[in-house]
Amino acid sequence: MEPPKIWRERRERYLGIGNKCLDCNEKSFPRTDYCLKCSSKNIEEYKLSKTGKILQFTQVTQPAQEHIFYSPFIIGLIELDDGIQVTGQIVDYNYDDVKEGMKVRMTFRILSIDNEEGLIKYGYKFVPY
Amino acid sequence: MSKLGIVSYGSYVPQYRINVEEIAKVWGEDPNEIKSQLQVNSKSVPGPDEDVTTMAVEAARNAMSRWKGNPKDIGALYVGSESRAYAVKPTATIVAAAIDAEGALQAADLEFACKAATAGMQMCFGLVKSKMISYGLSIGSDSSQGRPRDPLEYTAGAGSVAFLVGSENVVAELEGTYSVTTDTPDFWRREGAVYPSHGVRFTGEPAYFQHTVNASKGLMEELGTKPQDYKYVTFHQPNTKFPLRVARMLGFSKEQVEPSLVCRDIGNTYSASSLLGLSQLLNKAQLGDKIFMTSYGSGAGSDSFSFEVTDEIERVQAYQFNVDYYVNRKEIIDYGIYARFKGVLR
Repeated sequence: MEPPKIWRERRERYLGIGNKCLDCNEKSFPRTDYCLKCSSKNIEEYKLSKTGKILQFTQVTQPAQEHIFYSPFIIGLIELDDGIQVTGQIVDYNYDDVKEGMKVRMTFRILSIDNEEGLIKYGYKFVPY
Repeated sequence: MSKLGIVSYGSYVPQYRINVEEIAKVWGEDPNEIKSQLQVNSKSVPGPDEDVTTMAVEAARNAMSRWKGNPKDIGALYVGSESRAYAVKPTATIVAAAIDAEGALQAADLEFACKAATAGMQMCFGLVKSKMISYGLSIGSDSSQGRPRDPLEYTAGAGSVAFLVGSENVVAELEGTYSVTTDTPDFWRREGAVYPSHGVRFTGEPAYFQHTVNASKGLMEELGTKPQDYKYVTFHQPNTKFPLRVARMLGFSKEQVEPSLVCRDIGNTYSASSLLGLSQLLNKAQLGDKIFMTSYGSGAGSDSFSFEVTDEIERVQAYQFNVDYYVNRKEIIDYGIYARFKGVLR
């Protein structure tokens, strides 16, 4: 993992910062340089809702090498309270007990670690509550 | 006149627990003897994707949610820990980014074994009182290592706590603080060592008890108070026996200290320990209650504090994600899973 990428994406991964278009009011995540709906560059930061519900989920048993320590893990499609849909890991819960429609909130976790001497990549995951 | 004191607080304990019986089974020891010695039933274990930084962020976010203020108004942020994720790279910078407090901000990581966060609180009190900052956030977060088969393995838990200090909307006013510091080698970890070492019985009398008693007596003498003046008291909780015994030595009753004892279920949370006890007491306290706290950090030193609860306390007590929420949220794991989560199995 390159330091510039970790640094550049930290507000999205730590705080769930996306865009809001000041012309058409469209909200989107992750951040882009222009509105995904009307292409306007008249945009500002928008903070996602920190709570939502699980729409769909599955268990990942064959992950990428950088996630192997955390395997198996659950990944879900979450509809946040502001209507925006994001994907994220669902943690602190057994796969058999997770249900569609369950309420979740954002939690701050390790996403991956770059070997023994590299950087730690932090970001949001979701925990049922 | 504005008051100086605690404005908000937040806590976090990971959900995994390992019971004393499970550890004792692996090493062929008698769990009942260990439980009667330490008065600890289980300890908290961080999940595979948790470390000191993630726990510090959760506690800080709970303190922010309980406060409902603007994180940009925080002028200083300190993280006290002895088990940081990075040897070089401050935890405080990551926490600042994760609560949206980056920018004009003093920040540092502090180390003084189990009392680094109360040292951070004293720094924040000084900065607020001198009007150099409006609010200061001091966090204690630890995910400590106990060497397999060492007595510490039964108690070395994980948890974090964050205290916001200021002079507006104060829930507990600071009446005074007093510290004792000596060079006492009771517990240490050298650079590059995975596990800490300790002086076994030496960690008791000349270390924990002497410093805790001297700091507590020092503050009560300075303030002209006595144990009976306080509704509640809390101390550092390396096990449950030590705080109960030091309370008795100082003349506090079991009823004054008992409500703060979280160590039975989650073990020793190191730099979060005494402050998790204080959080428990603030959750139960009423207007006018006086609360006494003395932390202890190996190496060694103690910080004592005296607080009086204000009428703002009810505003923050309804917060859902409090110490009880995290202590009661638990999943018991066996030694194999524990070894994997702690990185012993790779």
